[in-house]
Amino acid sequence: MERKLRRLLKAGALAGLVALYFSLDESTRRYLAHIGKQVPYLPYRYFI
Amino acid sequence: MADYDAVVIGAGLGGISTASLLAKNGMKTLILEQSDIIGGCCSTFESQGYRFDVGASIVEILHPMEKFFQLMGKKREDYIELLPCDPIYSFITEDGRRFSYPTDIDETTRVIESIAPEDVEGWKRFCSLGLEMIDEMMDAMMTSPLNTVGEALAMVVKTPRVMRYLPLLARRHQSVVRSYYRNPVILSSVAFQSYFAGAPPELGSGIFGFIALSEHLGIYYPRGGMISIPEGMLRAGREHGLEVRTGCKVERIILDGRRARGVVLEDGTEITSEVVVSNVNAKVAYLKMVGPENLPPWALKAIDSYRLSMPCPMIYVGLDEKPDLEAHHTVVSGSIEVMNRVWNLYYTKGVIPRTAMSLICWPTEADPSLAPEGHHILNFLCNAPAPYAPLGDNWDRLKDWYKEEAVRELERFVMPGVRDHIDYLEVSTPLDFERRLLSPQGSIYGLFSDLTSLALFRPHARSRVIKGLYLAGSSTHLGGGVPTTIASGIITSGYILKDRG
Repeated sequence: MERKLRRLLKAGALAGLVALYFSLDESTRRYLAHIGKQVPYLPYRYFI
Repeated sequence: MADYDAVVIGAGLGGISTASLLAKNGMKTLILEQSDIIGGCCSTFESQGYRFDVGASIVEILHPMEKFFQLMGKKREDYIELLPCDPIYSFITEDGRRFSYPTDIDETTRVIESIAPEDVEGWKRFCSLGLEMIDEMMDAMMTSPLNTVGEALAMVVKTPRVMRYLPLLARRHQSVVRSYYRNPVILSSVAFQSYFAGAPPELGSGIFGFIALSEHLGIYYPRGGMISIPEGMLRAGREHGLEVRTGCKVERIILDGRRARGVVLEDGTEITSEVVVSNVNAKVAYLKMVGPENLPPWALKAIDSYRLSMPCPMIYVGLDEKPDLEAHHTVVSGSIEVMNRVWNLYYTKGVIPRTAMSLICWPTEADPSLAPEGHHILNFLCNAPAPYAPLGDNWDRLKDWYKEEAVRELERFVMPGVRDHIDYLEVSTPLDFERRLLSPQGSIYGLFSDLTSLALFRPHARSRVIKGLYLAGSSTHLGGGVPTTIASGIITSGYILKDRG
């Protein structure tokens, strides 16, 4: 039961994030997408 | 024993400031420049009696230049004569309205009041925060190293008020200016500066929003053209034994394991040195001169991941009459939405922008000696990114078409009938910039500047991958621009001198 609840909460949070993303204006979405693509490289960039 | 204490690749402002400061501190230093003229983007070339600036068109924020000469033990006025340019900009809006921003802040307030009284309060808030920030942060942010967490913490400890301005770094350019202004005309007059950092207002960092204010501290044009700045700095360096060789292209950096030991020129000549400084784009330095085979996989991933700043064609026009302009800079600007759309719809899809966005520089307004008697010069920069690889074509073939488009734009928005007075017309395309300045894909501001590629996340001035290799110029902290690249040289030379004890 507890596991089910946790999964439900996770799914709810994910759906909330998706809904939040699509509620943003197009410019902000482009910005977040741009930053999202760069963030994985930050640990490498810090050491170059 | 090495031939030189330091070899500097590239005679851009970053390379010259680093090399001069090393020479001043007793290091035997050599600059190798692949082109026949020095200065990189801050240079001037002569053609048919006109002297055109290659790229950079003014200098503002004099602090790094003054600090450079102070560290050299000299006076800037003895080496470079700066002519003040006032008004800063003249604007031409989408609907043809014209207005100018004078240097004086109170006079600018009156201009804003005449266009958008509702934005006067925002302009005053903008000035209040901006002037305070510039005053408090100039030294901390402009000429201090900011490559590691330790250095960032040291800056915070030394100047605790920096914390107040950090949120600006994380915000977007357009968000910052929109928090001060509402009128679309005023907004576009303070938003287009994000392109000076090579990014549209929706991607650029909010800290660049204050470029629109720093210009009110004064913008200057050096007598003799922009090349007078690197020439003056180089003269100061030469007085301390600095050597320069032009027309010398560096093929690769000599490595001993992961330690730089000198350079190999295109003709095979080897020059050894204790220290190698790269003033070329960091991608060229690491991927071509060091070589991917000499980099650990994580470093290759890092340097590969950087996006380049925008390519941008430059049009050089010689006129046989005085142009009908009001300022050194005339800006034909669209709305913030247009600025973003140009980037997203055109640049990323490979279509050359055909829009009313441009920066027209009129250097003969400040220095008439740059053109034959009675003639004038316009350096016309399409203030929008243009794709390096235009859809289905290449720039060598598009050159003549682009010249025609540029003249049509000038006639349509700025000076009707100008065609009949054009005495000289040339264009430098992104391909030309790549060939002449070794700027990959013709990028004019080094690497792209956004939150994820600034300060700690920009290639470090002291390489952590190759010992003895240092970087200066627009690829390093603080990015592209005249004051920023001079500042980078101050930072880089500081590291080298510290490392040598």
